[in-house]
Amino acid sequence: MSDVEVASPHDPADALAAVAALRRLADQMEEAGVERAMRAGWSWPQVAEALGVTRQAVHKKHASRLIAAGVTLRRR
Amino acid sequence: MVTRFAQHVRTIVTAAEAEARASASPTVEAEHVLLAICALDGTDAQRVLASAGLDHHGIKLALEREVHQSLRAAGITIDPGRLPRATIDSSRHLRMGASTKKALERAAKASAGARQMQPCHLLIGVLGAQAGTVPRMLAVAGVDQGTLTERVQRATDGKTQ
Repeated sequence: MSDVEVASPHDPADALAAVAALRRLADQMEEAGVERAMRAGWSWPQVAEALGVTRQAVHKKHASRLIAAGVTLRRR
Repeated sequence: MVTRFAQHVRTIVTAAEAEARASASPTVEAEHVLLAICALDGTDAQRVLASAGLDHHGIKLALEREVHQSLRAAGITIDPGRLPRATIDSSRHLRMGASTKKALERAAKASAGARQMQPCHLLIGVLGAQAGTVPRMLAVAGVDQGTLTERVQRATDGKTQ
């Protein structure tokens, strides 16, 4: 019955691996999403509010990466 | 304990950072080190992996399947590879993740007594993980972690004596 292909949230190993995979997925979506928003002209406060974090946190996490990617940033 | 690194090990560590960057990871994890070991031709470590049917492409596929499987436990069926990616910042320095730090600790222990840390020691370090992405990826690929570790161990012992 037990199939290695089926991961279960009730199995601790699968649950913890799911958390790790979800974190990576969230990071990927955040990086891509923030870049798209900033390219579309969003301000830092808008992005911060959408993510539910402080403006300082979002700026610290993404500013240098976006500058390196050639994104024109609006004033914080 | 002072660990000296063979040139191949330095090459692998640098390549691991490139692997991490290519997969949009903010940190260099043990699976990136494993991919880098596979990508360096002519090492015993690469030969042992190949003898177990593991090459760069195969590991990449198994890693993808591991992620899908793990996400499915949380009811998520999306393929992260199909989601938008941010622009890769090649100037960004990537930190070593916890899995790589542990792998290096184990590799340093494995290389104690040898003149330098060799790729095989690094592979022993990576394969020493009890849980996490690498053991799960090996299970997905149908590779027995214990048997593989013994093979690397034998290849290493043969060289250092």
